[in-house]
Amino acid sequence: MSPPDVTAIPANPPRRALPLHRELDRVWRNGPGLWGQVTSVSHTTLGLRFMATAFVFFGIGGLLAMLIRAQLATPQSAFLDTALYNQIFTMHGSIMMFLFAIPMLEGLAMYLLPKMLGTRDLAFPRLSALGYWCYLLGGTILIAALLAGVAPADGWFMYTPLSGKTYSPGINADVWLLGVTFVEISALAAAIELMVSILRLRAPGMKLTQMPLFAWYILGTAAMMLAGFPPLILGSVLLEMERAFGWPFFDPERGGDPLLWQHLFWLFGHPEVYIIFLPAAGVLSTVIPVLCRTTIVGYGAIVAAILGMVFLSFGLWVHHMFTVGIPHLALAFFSAASMLVAVPTAVQIFAWIGTMWRGRPELKLPMLYILGFFFTFVMGGLTGVMLAVVPFNWQAHDTAFVTAHLHYVLIGGFVFPMLAGVTWWMPLMSGRRRIKGLGEAAFWLILIGFHGTFFLMHLTGLMGMPRRIPTYADNPEWMWLNLSSSFFGFVMTIGFALFTIDLILQAGFGKRSVRDPWQAPSLDWAMALPPPNYNFASLPGVELQKEGAGGAMLKLARGEGLLPGAPRGRREILVTSVGTARLEHVALLPFNTALPLVLALAICAFVLLMLAGFYALAPVALIPVTGLIWAWARRAVASVDAAPVEVAPGLLLPVHPEGGTTLTQSGLRCLLFADGTFFASLLFGLAFLSLVSPGPPLPAWGADQKVLLSALAGLSLLVTGGLGARWALGRVESGRPAGAALFGWVIVNLVALVALAALAAGLPDPTRHAGDAVRAALVAYVGLHITIAVLFSAFALDLARRGELAHGRAGALRNGWLWQGYTLAAAALATAALWAQEAAL
Amino acid sequence: MRQVGGMVWLGWLIAGPTAWAGAFSVAYGLHGLGCELGWPALDVGPLSLQRMAIALPSLAAILLCLVLLSRVKATLGPEAGLPRLGLWIGLIATLYTMAPVLVATSC
Amino acid sequence: MKCAALAAVPLVLSGCTGPLSTLSPSGPIAQDIAWLWWALLAGAALLALMVFVLVALGFGRPREVAEGRWVFGMGVWFSLAVLTLTLAGALWIGERMLPHGPALEVHAHARQWSWSFTHPGTTGRTETEGVLHIPAGRPVDVLLTSSDVIHSFWVPQLGGKMDAIPGRQNRLRIEAARPGTYEGLCAEFCGLEHASMRFEVIAHDPAAWPPLLTMEGSRP
Ligand code: HEM
Ligand SMILES: [Cu+2]
Ligand SMILES: [Cu+2]
Repeated sequence: MSPPDVTAIPANPPRRALPLHRELDRVWRNGPGLWGQVTSVSHTTLGLRFMATAFVFFGIGGLLAMLIRAQLATPQSAFLDTALYNQIFTMHGSIMMFLFAIPMLEGLAMYLLPKMLGTRDLAFPRLSALGYWCYLLGGTILIAALLAGVAPADGWFMYTPLSGKTYSPGINADVWLLGVTFVEISALAAAIELMVSILRLRAPGMKLTQMPLFAWYILGTAAMMLAGFPPLILGSVLLEMERAFGWPFFDPERGGDPLLWQHLFWLFGHPEVYIIFLPAAGVLSTVIPVLCRTTIVGYGAIVAAILGMVFLSFGLWVHHMFTVGIPHLALAFFSAASMLVAVPTAVQIFAWIGTMWRGRPELKLPMLYILGFFFTFVMGGLTGVMLAVVPFNWQAHDTAFVTAHLHYVLIGGFVFPMLAGVTWWMPLMSGRRRIKGLGEAAFWLILIGFHGTFFLMHLTGLMGMPRRIPTYADNPEWMWLNLSSSFFGFVMTIGFALFTIDLILQAGFGKRSVRDPWQAPSLDWAMALPPPNYNFASLPGVELQKEGAGGAMLKLARGEGLLPGAPRGRREILVTSVGTARLEHVALLPFNTALPLVLALAICAFVLLMLAGFYALAPVALIPVTGLIWAWARRAVASVDAAPVEVAPGLLLPVHPEGGTTLTQSGLRCLLFADGTFFASLLFGLAFLSLVSPGPPLPAWGADQKVLLSALAGLSLLVTGGLGARWALGRVESGRPAGAALFGWVIVNLVALVALAALAAGLPDPTRHAGDAVRAALVAYVGLHITIAVLFSAFALDLARRGELAHGRAGALRNGWLWQGYTLAAAALATAALWAQEAAL
Repeated sequence: MRQVGGMVWLGWLIAGPTAWAGAFSVAYGLHGLGCELGWPALDVGPLSLQRMAIALPSLAAILLCLVLLSRVKATLGPEAGLPRLGLWIGLIATLYTMAPVLVATSC
Repeated sequence: MKCAALAAVPLVLSGCTGPLSTLSPSGPIAQDIAWLWWALLAGAALLALMVFVLVALGFGRPREVAEGRWVFGMGVWFSLAVLTLTLAGALWIGERMLPHGPALEVHAHARQWSWSFTHPGTTGRTETEGVLHIPAGRPVDVLLTSSDVIHSFWVPQLGGKMDAIPGRQNRLRIEAARPGTYEGLCAEFCGLEHASMRFEVIAHDPAAWPPLLTMEGSRP
């Protein structure tokens, strides 16, 4: 079947909207009551819940900020003791970054994207739910630690050796490392599914080069998250290994290097700032043109700016390390990159201003927040450029000036646009109109409070006040500045409280909003308010996309678009091609399930066991995790039934991609990309510890013939396994039985695992030297991947045994093959790296 | 119009910045290595071995961008606009980040 | 808000000095950076003003806009020009600040939560606690080490800051123009008593160098 021309799809006949709604609602809605909330996998429900939870954490973080400001109001306040103060500012920073900003943008993107792209849900609904539960449970661990008085206290970037076992002996630092990593599962999950959804679920004919800018922004964000979070996760894992088992990655006495932590952290930490900024800029690019009644200036230039930011922001992490003693040339290098990244930002700022010039801006509430953004963010950006100037950085680094700068950027560049976005989409989310007046008052309080607090802090910093100090008895000259900062801090808090009240009032008591109250053209408004879980009764084709929200709304509701209703009682969406959104196939999404929650709880058990120091028991908790993931995959397979579906009169689409790429495969590729950056960071660590780090030299390994043999044996076994998988795939596709080939694949992978174990047994003690530790970490990485390869092959064998592997339904086998290939490549690279390490000695 | 797949198009889109990223990482890596091994003291023609080692990957990236720029229209036809901007980003970024390398004190 | 910013300038010049202020430099290096800051501030204020005016003008009646001029003219070329200028200035001052040429070497050793210094005294190299002695009018290289966690050596009136990292030795150049006592502190968060990890730098008249150190190990 050749792909149908998306521009010539006939319309479905109109039907009555209400019965159509009932039919869809029965299939897509959440279950009743609390249990229905627990089992929901809907992007609408989960997106809202992500945002609401993030908002609660914002409240907690804000409360901590008020405690900080209260403490700093006078020079020698006895309000908080130092130990507690350290916990409080660490938790304020960590909560705001990991539990507010990232989840907030994930929630907004999850909620909006399927609506903007004209589909019914995200690609992996169960993954959205899993991400949410991991976020909630991880966040709860952190807050519980704060209440119990054992919160992390080493600053949000957790510099070693301070965060090592010697100088932070309690579980405080472990809470951060394990808790934050647990939460980051949700970031990776969100990144994968947002990326796949944007590339594969766009309404037919919605070309990549024509999709809403917001989708471009989230595509960039998702890519950055896939590349940016792995270094942090790696750093956390390594530091936790050092703390738990004494592997000295960061211990200078045994060849480790505290700077490795800084590199890994900021390799994540700087892109993080742009991960936060991009979605906010996406909101601005969406809202500004509509509020100015025109179209955006420079669509292509903005896409290019996003592209530039995504890449360039990975080239400036060292600007957080200008004072660690780095050669001037490297400083110059990173200083130049830091300057350069301001260009894409400038492009967007001028594009937005140009849009305002071209249109007629309306001073509605979201526009006020947008003006707040301009006012605040431009100043924050300029102080950012100042800080990229190395000599100035050497004075301002680690002072209140930096605190001021980062809040100008984060509150100006993220919070203001988000407030604009929330007020913009509130009618959609709640179905209600705002009560006039309150919102404006909140805006002015927040704006004045913010600048009153932080503008002066630039000066405080230049007058020498370092960050992260609770008292300053010897420096009365800072007192008035601090006191006014504290005063305005409370003004800002009142503003946020008012904003919250306004939201609650709107959601609870506002008048019903008309549909598409802003007369926005994008598809997110082409639906009932508040939107039903299925978003669209029928999916918009090219014609309906052109008509805009106003024109398409009714036709979509009457089923004139594609794939109307849910006549088969299944959750069906359309999968399209990456570039031009040609129709490919129909995908079936999973029903409501508690599996994500159970899986998250199982992971949580592992995290808690690690936290409690039951290191021998913790791996046992991974058994249920594995079992649940197996069940997860089985359910996806079991729901498949092969009859083609009529999406428009005379247009049949298969439920399988017929040899094309399934959504799961796209997802797996994204996962492997993240895995690859994780591995690359590990190799970077190896090179760094071997080349740059000072300290005692790595003692000889004494690797002998046996080691070499087991490495070679392992590699050739992995190759053989790959060939077996390929052979099995060929047989399945041509309808022949593949049981024997699959069985061989499993066995070969198992033997490869044994070969690796033999090699591992011959490794020197990893606690001896950082070089030994990183070598062992590399071997462990490969071991984990071979273990998973065993599971992949066993899963395929199990499917074959049940007769569920067939022509066109061999996705699981293809995925296993992909995994095998990745494992082989990683193993080969690891072998080469270890050989090089040994040779360099 | 020659039809290319979406993934190929995306590949063209990120080619320029990827070239920059490659040159940047290699140059940074070689810089660290060179400082360890004392390259700044070794002269190769007008430049020290150190500066050479750092400049070469950038030159390669610049060349790559130029070559791709000359081909982009023929390969992608009407969809060449964004990838062309991407290549320009790669080109300018490489030039810009490498320029200080020629003047600043090395180690 | 803009008015507040402008009003802050004279305020800074008059009242906002202090023993830790980067805005009352007492040596050529800190002086360079202070000038750099004023230049950056002036440039930034101009740019911010320009953007705010452009935004405000956006509220006029609708106009034709030339897209290329906005996104490429302003967005790329204009900003690139400004940034390049800034970068060139930064590199130039940065090279001047580097420890090129001969200087007196002193050692600063950090630990939780105090500093000890080793420098020339009348009886050869002498160690002191919490007070660093240097000659005025001469560049001094501070060699920084740490025995536990990361600290950072900072004397705002004499130069920039530099981290003291366990396992490494860093070098920071400072210089005092006149004899006097200058305050210093640990700038990198280093645990419980981080806030009190202060020290003093006494710059001596070159004629009285090396100093006669009587109260060794004490902090005046
Ligand atoms: C609600 C208003 C806020 C106030 C009044 C506030 C106040 C403060 C203060 C006074 C500090 C300095 C702590 C110190 O130097 O010891 C601080 C640090 C910090 N803030 Fe905020 N903040 C606010 C909102 C935010 C937001 C929205 C974010 C991020 C999205 C954020 C991120 C941070 C970070 C990352 C730090 C550094 C923490 C560290 O040093 O480890 N803050 N905040
Ligand atoms: Cu940064
Ligand atoms: Cu310290």
